Parts: sequence; C-alpha cells; structure tokens
Amino acid sequence: MLFLEAAPASAPTIDEAILWAIMLCPLVAWGLIAIYVRKIPVAAGYLAILGVGAACVLSYVTLFNVMDADGGIAIHSHEWFSAGDLVVNLGVRVDGLTAVMLVVVTTVAFLVQVYSTGYMQGDAGYGRYFAHMCLFTVSMLGLVLADNLFQMFIFWELVGLCSYLLIGFWFHKPSAAAAAKKAFIVTRIGDLGLLAALLLVWTRAGTFDVTAIQEWATSGEPEGYIVTLFALGLFAGAAGKSAQFPLHVWLPDAMEGPTPVSALIHAATMVAAGVYLVARFFPVFEASHDAAQFVAWIGAITALVAATIALVQTDVKRVLAYSTISQLGYMMLALGTFGYVAAIFHLFTHAFFKALLFLGSGSVNHATNTFDMRQMGGLKKYMPVTYWTFIIGSLSLAGIFPLAGFWSKDEILLDAWRHDRALWAIGLSVAFMTAFYMFRAIFLTFHGEYKGGQPVDHHDEDSHFHGDPAHPHESPWAMKGPLIVLSVPAIAAGWLAYDHLFKDFIEAALPHAESHGSTFEIGIAISSSVVAVAGIGAAWAVYMKRWVTSESIRATFAPFAIIFENKYYLDRIYEDLFVRTIFHRGWNALLQANDRYVVDGIVNGSGRLAREASSRLRVIQTGQVQSYGLGIVAGVIIIAVAVITANPL
Amino acid sequence: MELSLLVFLPAAAAGVILLLPRSMEQHSRWVALGVSVAMLALSIQMFFAFDLNKDGYQYVVDKKWVEIGQFELRYILGVDGLSMPLLLLTTCLTVVSVLVSFSITLRPRAYFASLLILASSVVGVFVALDFMLFFLFWELELFPMYLLISVWGSGRKEYSAMKFVLYTIAGSAFMLIGILVLAFAGDTFDIRLLSAEGRIADPLIPLGWVFFFLFVGFAVKLPIVPLHTWLPDAHGDAPTAVSVMLAGVLLKMGGYGLIRMCVTMMPDVAQDWDVWFAAIGAISVLYGAFLTLRQTDLKRLIAYSSVSHMGLVLLGIGALGNTGLVGATYQMLAHGLVTGLMFVMVGLLYERTHTREIARLGGLARQMPLIASGMVFAGFASLGLPALAGFIGEITVFLGTFQKYEWAVLMSIFGVVLSAGYILWMLQRVVFGPVKHEWDGVTDQRHWWEHTVVIGLVALVVLLGVYPDLMTEMIEPAIDSIVLRIEA
Repeated sequence: MLFLEAAPASAPTIDEAILWAIMLCPLVAWGLIAIYVRKIPVAAGYLAILGVGAACVLSYVTLFNVMDADGGIAIHSHEWFSAGDLVVNLGVRVDGLTAVMLVVVTTVAFLVQVYSTGYMQGDAGYGRYFAHMCLFTVSMLGLVLADNLFQMFIFWELVGLCSYLLIGFWFHKPSAAAAAKKAFIVTRIGDLGLLAALLLVWTRAGTFDVTAIQEWATSGEPEGYIVTLFALGLFAGAAGKSAQFPLHVWLPDAMEGPTPVSALIHAATMVAAGVYLVARFFPVFEASHDAAQFVAWIGAITALVAATIALVQTDVKRVLAYSTISQLGYMMLALGTFGYVAAIFHLFTHAFFKALLFLGSGSVNHATNTFDMRQMGGLKKYMPVTYWTFIIGSLSLAGIFPLAGFWSKDEILLDAWRHDRALWAIGLSVAFMTAFYMFRAIFLTFHGEYKGGQPVDHHDEDSHFHGDPAHPHESPWAMKGPLIVLSVPAIAAGWLAYDHLFKDFIEAALPHAESHGSTFEIGIAISSSVVAVAGIGAAWAVYMKRWVTSESIRATFAPFAIIFENKYYLDRIYEDLFVRTIFHRGWNALLQANDRYVVDGIVNGSGRLAREASSRLRVIQTGQVQSYGLGIVAGVIIIAVAVITANPL
Repeated sequence: MELSLLVFLPAAAAGVILLLPRSMEQHSRWVALGVSVAMLALSIQMFFAFDLNKDGYQYVVDKKWVEIGQFELRYILGVDGLSMPLLLLTTCLTVVSVLVSFSITLRPRAYFASLLILASSVVGVFVALDFMLFFLFWELELFPMYLLISVWGSGRKEYSAMKFVLYTIAGSAFMLIGILVLAFAGDTFDIRLLSAEGRIADPLIPLGWVFFFLFVGFAVKLPIVPLHTWLPDAHGDAPTAVSVMLAGVLLKMGGYGLIRMCVTMMPDVAQDWDVWFAAIGAISVLYGAFLTLRQTDLKRLIAYSSVSHMGLVLLGIGALGNTGLVGATYQMLAHGLVTGLMFVMVGLLYERTHTREIARLGGLARQMPLIASGMVFAGFASLGLPALAGFIGEITVFLGTFQKYEWAVLMSIFGVVLSAGYILWMLQRVVFGPVKHEWDGVTDQRHWWEHTVVIGLVALVVLLGVYPDLMTEMIEPAIDSIVLRIEA
C-alpha cells in the first residue's frame, strides 16, 4: 500500500477499506438488484436505500475523521494496469473537498431514494429505476474519491452513461429517448476537451496523479500556454457536465426523466461533477489567469442567459432546470474569480435547496399529474407541507438572510466584486431575476385558484398516476419526509460559514494554504439582499396583486421575450442548422456519395472485371453440396498428405 | 503439438461432418460445437500455461516440410505474446459463431464444415511462423468465406462474396511478391529469422516497395480507407456467424500482419512510413464514423463503424512505441469481442423481425427487453464506455500516439463524439420510442445457445474492461522486443 503524506500537518487516519466501501455499498446493491429485480421488484427500493444509506453513514464517518485531521490529505494508490510506458493507478484520495462531496452526494442520494419509493410506486420499471440510481451514485462517488485524472475520466463517463439511462428511463416516449441521447452527446462534446487534457497532461507531465499535476502546473516548468490549454480542456469537460453556455442545452431536456432523477442530477451528481473537476484542479486555473478569466466569463454568461430564460418558462420543472444552470454559472464565476471556497460552498448549499425544490415539484406533480403551472394554482391549502418546504427552498435559492443560499451566494458576489465589477454587476442582476422567477413560480403554483391539473389519460398504459388531479392531495410520508429533512440544511447549511469553519476545512485540500477570498462584507450582503427582496416584491406585484400584468410586460419587451422564449434559438441552430443541414445532409451525404461513386466506382471498374470472372467461375459452381464437399475434403487431404509425407508429426 | 492440434482438429472435424449421412445432418452442429469447445478449452489452457517470463515463441513446432530448389519450406508453428491473445480470440469467436448458427437448416453439413475450415485457416494464420505457410493459410481462408457468404448469405450475396474474394486476392498478389522478395533476400521463409536484425540484405527491389506490397495486402484486410468498400457489402450480405468471424478475427489478420511482418521485419522502412500510418489511421477513423452516420441498415452500420475502429489500430501501430502497439493489439481484441457481440445481437434481432432496416424497427425494448438490453450494452461498449474493453484499447492507442502525432490523435478523438452519435441514434430508432404494433408478435423467447453466447461475450467485454493486465502482461513483452528491434 502506497501511503503519501501530502500534507505534513496530519493526514486523516481513516481506513482505506472504508473509503472503498463507500463506493462498493451501492455497487453491491446495484448488482443484487440487477440480478434479482425481475423476481422481487419490491425489494429493489429497500436494497437501494440500504446500499446508499450505508455509503451515507460511512461518508459521515469519513467527514468527521477528516475534520479531526484538520482537513489533511490521505492518498491510497495501487497499480491497475500497464501498457508499455503507460502505467495507470487506481486509488482513493480523501481530503476536505472529497469529504464534503461524499456527504453531499450520499445525503441527497439517500433522501432521493427514500422519496422515490413513494414517487415511483407502481411504475413498471420500478426495479430498473433503483438499479440505475444506485449505479449513478456509485459513479459519482467514484469520481469524487479518485486520486488521479484517468480514474476520474472513467467515472466521469459512467456518470454520463447513468444519466443517459435515467433521463431515457421512460424510453417509449420519443421525447425521453431524444433527451437522453442529447444529454449524452452534448456532454461528450465537452468530454473531448477533457480527453485532450488527459492526453496532454500524460504526454507533458507523465502522470495522472492529482497532486502531481497540481505541482506540475504550478511549478513554472511547463510553458504557460500548455497549462492554459490543459485548464481549458478540463473546463470544456466541466462545461458539458455542468451545463455551461453554450453546452447547457441538454439540461432542460433532461426533465424527461422521472423527477427524483432530476433532483439527483441537479443537486448532487451530474452537474456537480463539472464544478468539482474544476475545483479539484483549482491550482491549475490559478496558474493560468487566461483560463480563469475565461471560466469566470463563461460562468457569468451562463448565469445570465439561463436566468433570463427561466423568467418566461411555464413548466415549473423547467424553471428549476434553468435556475440550476444559472446557479452553476455562479459557481463557475466564483472559480474563475479564484473564489474556490465560495464555489464549493455554493455547490454544497445549492445541493440541498435544489434537491428540495425538485422533490417539491415532484410532489406537486404527484397531485396534479402535470408540471404546467398554468394548470395549477391554489395548491397551498391542499399541500401545506409541500408548500412550506418549497417556500424555504425558494427563499434559500433567492438568497434571503439567514438561509443557506444567502451565505454562499454572498461569497460569490464578494469575490466577483473584488475581481471585476462587471462580473459582479451581472451576478447581482441574476440575483434579482432568481428571486423573481422563483416567486413567480410559487405564486402561479400555490396561490390563486386551482385550475384542475392534467386529466389522467387512462389509455396510456405507462402512466402510473393513480390519484385524481381534480382533487389534489398531499403526498405520502415517503415523499413528505425527505422534503422536511432537506429543508433543515436548506435553512442552516450556510451557517457553517461561521468562524471560517467551512473555508478552512475546504482550503486544506489545496497544496498552498493561502487564503482564497474573504467570507463576508456587509456592503455586498446588503446590496444583494435588497435586490433579492426587490425580486420577490416584483413577482408579488405582478402575479399576486396584478398591478402590472405579465402580458403587458411581455408586450413592452417583446423582442427580448421572444428570444428568451425560444431559448436564444440555440437548439434550433444546433439541431436544425448544424446537425441536420450542414452535417447530415451536407458533409456526411457528400462523403457517402464519394464512397459510393468515387471509391466504389473505381473498385467497380475492376468490379466489372470481377463480374466477368464470376460468370466464368459459375461453371464450377454447380450448386451441389457434394461437389463443394468433395473440393473441401480434397483440399484438406492434399494439405494433410503434404505435411505428413514431408515430415511425420 | 498443441498448435498442430488447434490447426488441424477443426479441419479434420470438417471432414467428419461432410462424411455424415444425410439422415444425421442435424447432428453436424453438435460435432462442430464439440470441436470448437475443445479448441477453446485447449487454447485457454495454453493461455494460462504460457510462460510470461520467457522471451520469444512458445509451443514451437518446427519440422522440415518441402524443399524447392535452394529453398526449404518448413512447417513452423508457434505463439508469442502478440499471437496468443489473438489465438484465444479466434477460438472464442469460433464457439460463438457455431452457437449462433445452431438453428441453421440449409445444408448444415456443408455449412459447419466451411465454418470449421475457416477456423482452421485463421488459427493457422496466427500461429504460422513460416512465411509461405502463413500465406497458404491466408489464402485458404478465402474458400470457406466465399461459400459461406454466397450460399448462406442474403441480398446480393454472390456479388459481395466475389468482391470480397477478388479484393483479398488482389491484396494477396502484392503480398506474395513481397514475401518472395523478402525470402530471397533473407534466404529463408522462417519468420523468426527474417525478423532478426541484419538478416535481410540486398533485396531484388528496394525495401520500400516490399514494405508497400506487404502493406497493401494487410491493409485490404484491416481495412483502411479507401480499400474498405468490400467490408460493408460482405457484412451486409453474410450470415450472422460469418459476420462475427469476419469482424471479430479476419480483420485482425491485417493488423497482426502489419505488426508481425511489416514493422518487425523492416523497422527502418516502418519509421519512414509511420506518419502515413497515423494519417491513414486518423482518416479511417473519421471517414468510417461519418459514413456510419449515414447508414440505414444495421449490419452495414456496424461494418462502417468497424472501419472507424480499425483505423485506431493503424494509428496505434503508427506510433511505433510500446504503448501504441500494445494499444493497437488491445484494440483488436476489444473490437473482436464488442463487434462480435454487436453482430450477434443484430442477428438475434433479424431472426425475429426479418429486417435490418433501421427505419422499420423501433420500440423493441418493450417486446424484447433482453435483446434490447444486449443492444444497449453492445452499443455502449462500441462507443468506448470506460470499464468495458473498447475503452482500454482506445485510450491506450491515444496515449501511446499523442506524443508523436498530436494532430492525428486530435483528429481521431472526434471519432469519440461521432461514435456516440451513431450508436445512440441507432439505439433511439431501433430499441426505444413508441411500440410498433407491427412487431407485436415478436418476443425474447430464446434458446439456451443464444443465452450462452450473449452472457459469455458480455462477461468477456467487462473482464477486459476492468482487468486489462490479463492481456497486457502477455502482450507487453512481445511488443517490447519489437520496439527494441525498431530502436536498434
């Protein structure tokens, strides 16, 4: 066992076996479900909860252990395989960052699984669902535990696979099948960058090891542009998975999956992967200011673009989806402005309140059979638990003091302020929009008159909806429970900012223990609070009091509204113009014509010869098996005789 | 002795099958199965008994065979770390192709006899250490292939079979010239001697031409762009088992020949040429992938994806370094298993729906969940998902080649996105989407042999994906000695 003490202070003493077990528990659950699911589907849910629950407990054990060591680093690495000069290791690394991610992933995954036992009740694919969810958790855990880039890449791709399987869970729906494909392909375009970065770092630095790469990038030994290219490659991968502009288009479509899947994707697994990757290689971005600048601006653009689209969505889940993209933009913005702590802190708090909001929207769907806010309204009195927890999540997301989102968003805005006022201004305007669209969603969904939901289509054999949308009801405890549990961290997770608790813990994972941004400044806090309250107030004025109707606003800003409603036409440009027209009908068709008429044309020049030859050969082709058989036997005998007479064996 | 058995046992069994009376023709499949399983068992035993610490060839048989003038053709068989895994792949896929043919009713005796003779000849190619013997096996393979495609195939089967044969023969003609020149210059047909340093002196024609001739012979088989158009035709019209053998092992003969003959015997020329290897490899990867996206027939789709995947083999060889060559070899193994599985799945699908037209299929995940799962698995294996075999081959080739030919690798990695595109596009249209009532009757309902084949191949693809050392430990020493020869 190789034991590297990267941090001389003190390394976590946690046993290596426990770290592997965190990954193995859900993996075993997956294996058992995959084998036995067809016989006992009911057991699948319990097995999944057990597996992920065990991983969750072990993650907390790990967290406390790392806290005892003041956030030190422990690495356990083993050789996996070699091919010539290439040596690939398999290992686990645990430090403050890993520990926090483990806790976030397993906690959210656990609660989502519990919730799913209620939400997915009666679905034909119940067992398959839990198997995929377990595998999803395993992939994400493998990613955060990995001690080298190669291993990260492996789990990175597996995360992509699981998202494909879960987004396309209801595969008979063409929209779900298309969304799954889109998610995989769009993220894979980003993965090209990650793959190129992997190749580059192996060729230049000769290692995949995280610590060694961090040292290599900061040593000043490689040329600056190499580090920048490496950083940009990593970021390309991260931009795919974390839905950064212009690769964000897959995330809203990913709504086609079951809602708990969305909660997992948006909070703890898939989209967190990209932010985690950049944070993990944060020193590389520090070493390349160009790359960091790029990250910051892409983050800001993403935050802005997504927030503007969220303003005009009518589907509650899509509002949440665009808000996720927007918040991810915040995190990237923070990383680009060297706000390592702020980014991870926001990832941490966001995981809880976003999971809460998604599960809340699932609960609403459970009652109304729709996600369309125009068919809802007035649900407050039917679903009090869902309503109040949804309020908590929204306030937290909007950044209202003293909820979790307030603290983390504030740190991001502070880092932006210090770095570049323009970035800060974008961040602040996004904060306004965030508050506005969230409370727009709340007023449309829970207030006013109930509009009846979506009638159940009894011909759809795949629908497992078994309530009456005309008479909405509160969800069962399996679903309410996780909502209530999640609202605790949605309120309080931000308080870890107290006395730099979170900051010191997370920073210990970096090679240089210099300070990465301060944590609080009253001016920033006041400005962002004012903006958030203003956003809520504006939503209240438009959607509750109707002092100004949304239609008149839309009419005033018509060109913008149309652009937002069409999602900046990105899907059209990608799919219709690029993929269908230029690529499929243009370039590929051209190559195919070349293949058929030029390449094969030349062949068929001699092909005509071939046909003549075949017409002559037809003479011996009598069509009688016996004659063929004779030929075969004769051939075998000739060879055998030749060999044996030449020299007996 | 073991190797002689592996080469001649299936041929002998073919003779036995042909002598079976008509009333017993349905038993020919059992004979074929018995023999192929025996071959597999034997090769597994050899694989594990292979001494990893010993240099050079093992299980060598070296006998005098015939003398022609000053030349002595010898009967030499042997395997090293390069050919042993390929041999194992061949025996594995032979069992697979016998099993997937289990329900065949048209002239089963001739069919299974041809299949076994095919196995004989491919095994022969991988184990022959006399260049002329190698060539004989290389040519022998054409005969059963021709019969198998033109008799048991579908569509324009005669055309495709003839195209396949003529293409290979044209390549072989070049190859024969190369072989003869090398043998004259080295005064032997013994591959071991020809590979030794300084053995080839004063060739009749410049060594560059010799290299080119051999390259053409092997490149047709691989195949490379633009010598690839026989492959989609042959695959499209061949029966399932033949597609499995063709994609699984026959293409590998080309890659094997390139490494064993071209690179090892003429390393100096190879170093002048490697940039072309990289370029043609990268072009094949992209060209194959672009064309795959335009295919409407499942089998032609897989055929074009094979062109793309085999381009990586050439790219890896072009690196002329140990990582690249190990990667190329691994890629051959992985592609053999993954594409074999892919063809098996399409074969099962075809048996039930009688169409391979992507546009006609759809929503099959409902009617045949198991076959659909198999297709999804094979698809992801084919697009290089980590923890499955294809990924290791791909990434090793990339890592091994990047230092030398950055541009070629940067071109090739676009194949990664394109492969995701064509695989997922195919899955979406074939297994997902709304149920089509046209296929209401079809079911998964399966025979034990189908079960066995699919589970076996899936297990192997996973095994090679998570435990690469199983193969690389064996491949490495053989490649190391080749690299030593290159660097000398």
